[in-house]
Amino acid sequence: MKRYILTRAFYSLITLWLLATIVFGMVRLTGDPVKMRGEVGADAAYLDQIRRNWGLDKPLHEQYISFIGNLLRGDFGHSFEKSLPVGTIYFERFPNSLKLGFSAFVISIVLGVPLGMLSAFKVNTWWDNFGKVIALLGLSIPGFFVGLVLIIIFGVELGWFPVLGKGPSAFVWGDPSTWVTFWFQDWHYLAMPAFALGWYFSGAMVRITRSGMLEVLGSDYIKLVRLKGVPERMVMAKHALKNSMIPILTLAGLNLLVMVNVAVVIEVIFNWPGVGQLLYDGLSNRDFPMVQGVVLMSGLMIVVLNFVIDALYGYVDPRIRLSR
Amino acid sequence: MSKGLLSLIASLVLTFAPVCAQEAAAQQILPGPLVKLDIKDAQVMTARGKPKAALTIAQHFALDPGWLDPLEHITALTQQHYDYLIHDAMIKPMPQGVYTYSLAERAEITADFTRAAFRLRPGLRFHDGHLLTSADVKWTYENYKGVHAKTFRDKLQRIEIVDDRTIIFHFKAPFVEFLELYNGATTGIGWIVPKHYYEKVGRDGFKARPLGAGPYKFVSQEAGVQMVFEAWEQYWRRSPATKTIVVKGIRDHATRLAGLQTGELDLAYGMTGKLLPRVMTDRNLRWDPNFTGPWWLMFPGYNEPDSPFHKKPVRQAVSLAINRQFLVRQETQGIGIVVGNWLSPENSDALKGDGTELPVPEHNPEKAKQLLAQAGFPNGFDFDWYVPFVPYFDMGERVLTDLRAVGIRGKLQVLEGPAFRAMIIRGRKGYTGNRTIVQNIDPRPGVRGSIGVYAVCGASASFVCEREIETLWSKHQESVNPDERDRLIKAIQRTLIEEYYFVPIYWNPFVAVVGPKVLPEGKAVSRYWDTVHAPYPWPWEVWEVKE
Repeated sequence: MKRYILTRAFYSLITLWLLATIVFGMVRLTGDPVKMRGEVGADAAYLDQIRRNWGLDKPLHEQYISFIGNLLRGDFGHSFEKSLPVGTIYFERFPNSLKLGFSAFVISIVLGVPLGMLSAFKVNTWWDNFGKVIALLGLSIPGFFVGLVLIIIFGVELGWFPVLGKGPSAFVWGDPSTWVTFWFQDWHYLAMPAFALGWYFSGAMVRITRSGMLEVLGSDYIKLVRLKGVPERMVMAKHALKNSMIPILTLAGLNLLVMVNVAVVIEVIFNWPGVGQLLYDGLSNRDFPMVQGVVLMSGLMIVVLNFVIDALYGYVDPRIRLSR
Repeated sequence: MSKGLLSLIASLVLTFAPVCAQEAAAQQILPGPLVKLDIKDAQVMTARGKPKAALTIAQHFALDPGWLDPLEHITALTQQHYDYLIHDAMIKPMPQGVYTYSLAERAEITADFTRAAFRLRPGLRFHDGHLLTSADVKWTYENYKGVHAKTFRDKLQRIEIVDDRTIIFHFKAPFVEFLELYNGATTGIGWIVPKHYYEKVGRDGFKARPLGAGPYKFVSQEAGVQMVFEAWEQYWRRSPATKTIVVKGIRDHATRLAGLQTGELDLAYGMTGKLLPRVMTDRNLRWDPNFTGPWWLMFPGYNEPDSPFHKKPVRQAVSLAINRQFLVRQETQGIGIVVGNWLSPENSDALKGDGTELPVPEHNPEKAKQLLAQAGFPNGFDFDWYVPFVPYFDMGERVLTDLRAVGIRGKLQVLEGPAFRAMIIRGRKGYTGNRTIVQNIDPRPGVRGSIGVYAVCGASASFVCEREIETLWSKHQESVNPDERDRLIKAIQRTLIEEYYFVPIYWNPFVAVVGPKVLPEGKAVSRYWDTVHAPYPWPWEVWEVKE
């Protein structure tokens, strides 16, 4: 088991190194940030000075070595656009993204799983059609449209919810009193962006739950349970749902990562200060360190999650660790 | 008896003190003949009110903490939004004039432009109570790294501190543009930074928590998202009227409008566009046209013989093909003004494009077709790209439709903002071929600066290289005679327009919208946009909002 874990850890590190190298190269293909930053009419000396400040005057291999060296020390560099360390800005924003992503995740589960179960249980009935329509709408209506409609109806017309930002509460790393309170304050700011973000993912949850349940409900062991006269409610809750949870949980985990890291459109529309907006700003302004930092942090989360899942698979199923 | 004597002395002191102060202010610093400077006096309010309520502003892009540091000033006018909040300049544009005394109460430049002197107001302080002296002015100059830093460094011979309030800059050679560049409108070098604090907290520390001598103190920021400022009641000119100013970075147009409608925002910029009709019909909102600069067209590579735009009649046909009035209605709900110059009429030395000095461009498709036929294009011609300023793609399509109507056929090139800037900043090298039209706008103040960037051979964003203009420009650069310089700069403008090197379209409104909390009521709110060349409504200390 120890060897298996060490091998997975080694693969994870290689993946991260590859990701760092690719993102380092890719951002540099998008153009010269100095010229974009410099604005029209900026004199050459000024542009040269910016280039020096940003370390872009050095040969590419030196930039790369310095980038990897800084990464090993946990330093993502200085944002070109926001003029502060990327790590400082990222960790200021990350709790906001986590709050939005997790709330949207809960909404997508609460809406998607029961509706998917109902669709499967009452297959080819009115309920099933209703579930299918919701799934279709969830997947086909873009989040920005849902967001704008929510803003107009519940923000502007009815005035029930604020439309901008996350509210005054903040997660401050240096202030432990905010570590708990932050998650339970300003929910009225969270309601609309969380719904708009969760709505899209709930459509996918309806579909995956329905198809998973239908597959399980058609299996031999469910037929046997039914033949034994187990009440239908027990069949669903105890036997069917439990066994159809694996694909649902896999999708939910990936959805959560996506919602936390790249909720760009929803964050822009609701002016939610999350890491998605950071990535968007970084890409728009060719802010190399910011793009590198956000992408690497997202990659790190995915790699760590996969590593944990791999380790757990190896723990619960000896065949996996022995075969690798 | 003694009480009466004391009150007599006190009244004498009160009577004569301002007179003495005025005399001190009027006392000449530099010997010899001086240039006559047109610098307006500051309006100082003696009665100090109590700041109240909060103003929430939506900037139309993510906020950069770098804007809080004048030492690294960028070319964009956006940084001045923050300069005017936290910092204060020696001289800066104010509603009463482009050059208005601020920290300085007196400025002098010798007639040979080799020395410039300033005297600070008495008793100036930074927000932490530390005195602002000529040592801070010197330190700011010496440590400035922003736009035009090299020019300032190369021209400087030495800085002489006469006393705590008086400073003299000695230049190696005549520095005719000094005041124009030192003025708060153009660079950050005249916005004074506290030496003691900057040295203590460093570059990053200053951006994270800046300190200045302006009307507002920095309170907090979330990088890119929000900045909060609080009134500094000891500001020398007056107490700010509004207690708290919150600036939010909100990219999305519709979100800014929603924020205004829900009352979460009191002021939003960049509202020209598709949602403008909704702004105009909302009874709770008021707007100011906030004219910035005119739109104009340029022809990269026009001076190469194989370019279709090489011949003047073709460029003239482009101008005649454009239905500017229609564009103004579609793009700005009729607010824009058709003008015949590519430079903002707010520049005192810009030729007026309203028919008095330069003609208002006409729309005459038939004449355009005739000119094309005369130029050898009876059936029109195809060109490669029409490149509009980002994100004005609808406007680009409309211009293209007008051009197609006379036979000038091209495709729209849709770029993103940084890519457009990166191309234009490279000048001729930014565009391959010579069959492209570029649509641009640049609200920078100063005619000289604009010509130096866009209309001179080899300049950073120039597609123009004409012997006639070069001759005029060289004479202008060599001259220290203000009248001659003015005449030369106007001659260049006339050539650019009459030869159709540039084709102006209309003077663009960069509409700003205010919510119901902002005082005064009604259209009088437009007084906040009285400062010329200001795309944003500074100074901030005069803004009033309801509680």
